[in-house]
Amino acid sequence: MIAIDPVGAVIAVALVVAVVATLWWMLHPPISKVQEIARDAESELERMVGSIIVVFAENIASQHMMALAAKLAKGERSELLAIYVVSVPYSLPPDAEMTDEERRALDALGAAQAIAAKADINLRTETVKARSTKQAVLDIAKRERANLIVLGSFREGKYTGAPLSRTIEEIAAEAKCDVLIGVEGKHGNLLVDQVGFEQFEQGEKAP
Amino acid sequence: MPDQHQPELKRSVTPWGSFSWGYSDVGADIFVGLGLVLGAAAGASNVAFLFAGIVYVCIGLAYTELAATYPVAGGGQYFVMRGLGDFLGFIAGWAVLLDFTIDVTLFAWSCVDYLSEVVPVLLNPIHPWIHFIAVFGLIAGLCLLNVLGVRESTTFNGVVSALDVISETSILFFGFLFAFRPELLVHTMTTQWPSTFNLMLGASYAIISFVGLESISQAAQETQRPASVIPRTSIALILTILIYALAYSNLALGMVPWHQIPLDAMGHAQTLWQWLGNNNNNGKAVALLAKEVPYFGALAALYVPILGAILLLISSNSGVFGSSRIAYAMANAKLLPSIFQRVNRRFRTPAVSIIAFCTIAVVELIFAAWPSLDPGAAAFYAKFFHGEGGIGFLGDLYAFGAATSYSFVFLALIALRMNDPLSPRKFRIPFNIPMTYKGERVLFPVIGVLGFIGILSILVFTILTHDLGRIAGPAWLILGFIIFVVYRRNKGLPVFGSAPHDWRHEQIGILRDAGELELMDEYVACLKAREPAHAAEAR
Repeated sequence: MIAIDPVGAVIAVALVVAVVATLWWMLHPPISKVQEIARDAESELERMVGSIIVVFAENIASQHMMALAAKLAKGERSELLAIYVVSVPYSLPPDAEMTDEERRALDALGAAQAIAAKADINLRTETVKARSTKQAVLDIAKRERANLIVLGSFREGKYTGAPLSRTIEEIAAEAKCDVLIGVEGKHGNLLVDQVGFEQFEQGEKAP
Repeated sequence: MPDQHQPELKRSVTPWGSFSWGYSDVGADIFVGLGLVLGAAAGASNVAFLFAGIVYVCIGLAYTELAATYPVAGGGQYFVMRGLGDFLGFIAGWAVLLDFTIDVTLFAWSCVDYLSEVVPVLLNPIHPWIHFIAVFGLIAGLCLLNVLGVRESTTFNGVVSALDVISETSILFFGFLFAFRPELLVHTMTTQWPSTFNLMLGASYAIISFVGLESISQAAQETQRPASVIPRTSIALILTILIYALAYSNLALGMVPWHQIPLDAMGHAQTLWQWLGNNNNNGKAVALLAKEVPYFGALAALYVPILGAILLLISSNSGVFGSSRIAYAMANAKLLPSIFQRVNRRFRTPAVSIIAFCTIAVVELIFAAWPSLDPGAAAFYAKFFHGEGGIGFLGDLYAFGAATSYSFVFLALIALRMNDPLSPRKFRIPFNIPMTYKGERVLFPVIGVLGFIGILSILVFTILTHDLGRIAGPAWLILGFIIFVVYRRNKGLPVFGSAPHDWRHEQIGILRDAGELELMDEYVACLKAREPAHAAEAR
């Protein structure tokens, strides 16, 4: 049987405490200003992408932004919701059937599901009928307590020369969360290939 | 002509990476140093370690301040060149090169000693050639791997260092807990106190347990935010190694072994520390001590020799790439011929440097192993060098090289405090005397002076007590001096003077490249306050 000497025991414990304390101190150096900015930006990103809504509508093409949102959501493990807003004109009752629009919604949200599946993330989808696209988006963002609204290019920008449409500007101005808008570049061709936009393109070319 | 961009070293070394770079070098020293010091300083081994430890703390603080202020590859050689000029920079670098080549041989030698605990045939006294061939094979293998560009990763270093920290802390914890007897320590110290000569010998060996801080400085250029990180990793390394060295020496003197200690060659009973310090065991003292820790020793006997051998092999490897790196930096500073800068096209490694310094390591191995291989040589060594040879010879040169280069580093620290007070020092050694020098307020480092006296005394101990070291060490410096004179004359550069340097411009670049932007701003502001035109141009 080994007898433990109290002096030896005290030295043993002191030694372990000294080594552990030294290494702990070493591994926690003060951070620089640049690192502080980076750390704040990181935590801001975590806050920003906790819950993301990707918006589709008749004239809002968000497939490319959906791919970006899917990658973000995967990296940050965010909740992701894709909505398609079917705009019902005032000349029709709120629950009027919008067959063509609803068909386009199925295509757009199906594509969104495919993008999400490819990125290996869960995606909820929802089709919403509303008088105003802006109001529908803001209401859903409020209901979902969204941190980020993601929008693709608005068709209107192409022929007016304005970078953003009024709807997008209003969403950006009134949303209580961050808004990420993907405006197609000069040589972009995403819109041409988007589901449901061929008809619009043809309409634009018509005299 | 298109812009030619020099590829920059990526700053990817984290605080733990920086620590493990140093630890894989310094941490291995105690595996070699413990047995040597016990054999020399006997009952005062802990005092020898304490004295060397105090000097080492001063060295560590000096390196910490300098590496954080000037985070570039080159380490001690760069600090001395910047503080004292090209010639002394060369001498310091050349002494560090001696240490790196010894590092290769000494740790490969000790690696084989530790492996012999698992494969006893490696240390068979009847067939000493087996040991020689094994060490030679390790050096040749490391040389080949480095020429091919294969080396252990920072991650591997980090994992081995972490395992070793846990292992050594455990050995010491259980050793003190189960087997330490303070009265035995006091008894050993009072009855086995060595002669003054042996105490000096022990102190000079003890310093080799603390060699390798250079590695942190060498890695400064690859460390993230070096000015902030290096002070912490250096201080943590200093404290950890000091704790281990003092704890091991006290434990070895005051520990009751778990098993019966074998009789010595003459058939006499011997104590634990005598057994650890004798010529057969001094190369693997930590493994043997770990085996004698009650209960824990059963486990330690299985893994400590292997872990020790891996750490020693990493340390040996750090000598191979460390020597080629420092030779590259010296060639870059026009202190050595440009052949040492030459990078092999196929493997993209400084093959010439690696092969040259590994060849020197092999020559050192031959000198160390000769007495054990040839009875005639043994008689010669016995007649002229008190029979010194083997690991003791390597320890001699290691202590000589370290003491020489560290002496210059202290002088460089003092010179740079006086001549370059504007460079921002995120870490400054405490205890300074404020004074005015050439119109500037400077802080004179008292610890720098004390450290210089301490390391100089160890250099004197080394010269007085090491028969081979006092010849081979200065001979190495004379050889270097001849190479330096021939090279500088051929290039039309001053031998004792310095080539022109724009240190201020260089310092701004160093801080910018290190990502220490706040320090760069501080430096530029200081320059602007004194010489507005120069600062604007430099930036």
